[in-house]
Amino acid sequence: MQIIVNGEPQETSSECTVFQLLENHAVTHKAAVVELNGNILKQEHWQSTLLQLGDRLEILVFMGGG
Amino acid sequence: MNAIIQSVNPSDDSLLLGGVNLRSRLFVGTGKFSSHEIVPLVLEASGSQVVTMALRRVDWKNPQENILNYLPPNTILLPNTSGARTAEEAVRIAHLAQAAGCGNWVKIEIVQDQRYLLPDNWETLKATEQLANEGFVVLPYMSPDLGAARRLQDAGAAAIMPLGSPIGSNRGLQTKELIRILIEEISLPIIVDAGIGRPSEAAEAMEMGAAAVLVNTAIATAGDPVFMAQAFHLAVVAGRLGYLAGPGERRITAEASSPLTGFLQEG
Repeated sequence: MQIIVNGEPQETSSECTVFQLLENHAVTHKAAVVELNGNILKQEHWQSTLLQLGDRLEILVFMGGG
Repeated sequence: MNAIIQSVNPSDDSLLLGGVNLRSRLFVGTGKFSSHEIVPLVLEASGSQVVTMALRRVDWKNPQENILNYLPPNTILLPNTSGARTAEEAVRIAHLAQAAGCGNWVKIEIVQDQRYLLPDNWETLKATEQLANEGFVVLPYMSPDLGAARRLQDAGAAAIMPLGSPIGSNRGLQTKELIRILIEEISLPIIVDAGIGRPSEAAEAMEMGAAAVLVNTAIATAGDPVFMAQAFHLAVVAGRLGYLAGPGERRITAEASSPLTGFLQEG
């Protein structure tokens, strides 16, 4: 099924949690922050949140900046 | 020497910001470094306790290591809202940074102009007001304007961060007179943010009475960033001491330093 991650369409399996999606892309380090359909999804909910068709995810990390 | 420094620079000369007594008045940004590995070395040399970083979409194809993993423990994290063009976007970034465990300090940076990256004081004021009301320690990056600074103060900013010159330009204190007025008229700490390119310029800002300076590009793009971080540390301490010591009066004409009597040729 298709979801939108950081503005780009992406295919995932229908039984995929947010945590698995992050793990598949090697982005499970704790300071990542996830927005699901415009709402912040706290880290403690990553494992229990199943992705739904058409979900829009923003996955952000800290980078160098001034 | 130590005794002299202590008499001029009492141990209580810390900067109280967001409920924290900061010993170091040099804030350091983490952008533009050639590698993450050099960042902890730079921070150690700088003595800085407050460090800025940015929040960005993860690059799926090439996930980078998180910059936070390279910061010493007890560092105060100051996420910026770079990339925001409106107050609404800045508030969203602040909330995301807080959710990521970044604490409650935030540097508001709202820019629409891409050539000079000058901040939008009006949107900055709106974001400052909302985030201060929510309990954030808000440090707004702003164009040095007295009216805007007064409004930011009233809106609950913890400090005011005027630019010295455009971000990353290394052109120093082009806005010196406007910053001087802010230091004179605003009771909040004035932290000179962008454009400082040389240690001497950091010292100059501190001598004028700036509470702190934030430096990134000047250190990150130096031939030796670790040496430059140390140079900025020393410059900030020197400038602060110069300010506390109270510089002497400037004069147009000479005033002899040596006595004007008892010359050899007299009599």
